[in-house]
Amino acid sequence: MRKSYTVQELIDFETRVKEAYEVGQIKGPVHLSRNNELKLIELFQRINESDWVFSAWRNHYHALLHGVDPEYLFKTISEGKSMGTNNIEPNFYASSIVGGIIPIALGVAQALKLKNSPNKVWCFIGDMTMETGGFWEAYKYSRNFNLPLQFVVEDNNLSVHTPTTTAWNKRMKVPEGVIYYDYEMHYPHHGTGNWVNF
Amino acid sequence: MKYRDELIRAMEWLGEKPNTVFTGQAIALSGHAISGTMVKVPSEKRIELPVLEETQLGMATGLALEGFVPITCYPRFDFFILSMNQLVNHLDKMREMTENKMQPKVIIRVAVGSKKPFSAGPQHTQDHTEAMKLMLTDIDIVTLNKPEDIFPAFEKAYERTDGKSTLIIEYADYYGTK
Repeated sequence: MRKSYTVQELIDFETRVKEAYEVGQIKGPVHLSRNNELKLIELFQRINESDWVFSAWRNHYHALLHGVDPEYLFKTISEGKSMGTNNIEPNFYASSIVGGIIPIALGVAQALKLKNSPNKVWCFIGDMTMETGGFWEAYKYSRNFNLPLQFVVEDNNLSVHTPTTTAWNKRMKVPEGVIYYDYEMHYPHHGTGNWVNF
Repeated sequence: MKYRDELIRAMEWLGEKPNTVFTGQAIALSGHAISGTMVKVPSEKRIELPVLEETQLGMATGLALEGFVPITCYPRFDFFILSMNQLVNHLDKMREMTENKMQPKVIIRVAVGSKKPFSAGPQHTQDHTEAMKLMLTDIDIVTLNKPEDIFPAFEKAYERTDGKSTLIIEYADYYGTK
């Protein structure tokens, strides 16, 4: 049975990471989440434990909510692997390359359909990733072939610290069937906002 | 033993395996040299894809994560290099990143375009094998120089248990000459 989390428990996990990072215990980049706890708690009530979840560099909340053991997660973060969190049982994979998870998620969805599996693939991407060509071809393919792939766009209007609206001048409309929510960043793109001496 | 016949025999053998699928452009339909080597692969195993080279390779990785052994085909090296992000950053690094928890086994077929009797020019005949050897750290790279190399290469790629994927490079010039 997958552990469920409260908003405060999620915040506490990221705070623990923040504190470990600031005393130099984590010798790799961390990308911390905040302000999207409620939305994710609500979304993960629709995600089954046997589903696949794909995420990117800011993945701690997704991993926890999908059932990745928090101590295992903290250990991998401490080893400097925060951007590439992964797990089997539950199936969870994150990549630190923008949009890199999308084709892989599409292939898993194609496999699930070929196997007549009841499972589904959930692919969490940011708003700048949604603007990439890779997203649009995968979205089109998954829709045209009715693959069990659900995209979720998490919009903080930022890619690192560049506003998506500035870089693209205007935004694409979120396409049909894609779950979308927006939130405001609390932490900087990576790190905690405080200087750390290693 | 002829080069093209051996490719057909290897594909037929792979096509008999319950967990294989074949993907790419002109794989279910005709179109290029590799298409012609698929003639003995059951049609239900051949998935015709649009032109989306990078996505194609990522899809193969995803299929492999769910237990399939995809044979994903690129008719020219010139086109295959569009998939480098999924090849170098993802498939090649997945075992390292996941500490071997995820071991997608993908077989990649790439053909070097023919130059004889006529050459299709610099965008259709490049051979980047040496560059691949410099870029890839985990994927096994095999070149098919003789007809007798072919079946054992695909047999090993399918049966290997070391968790590695295999990039198998063939030469369209040999289809009619060896």
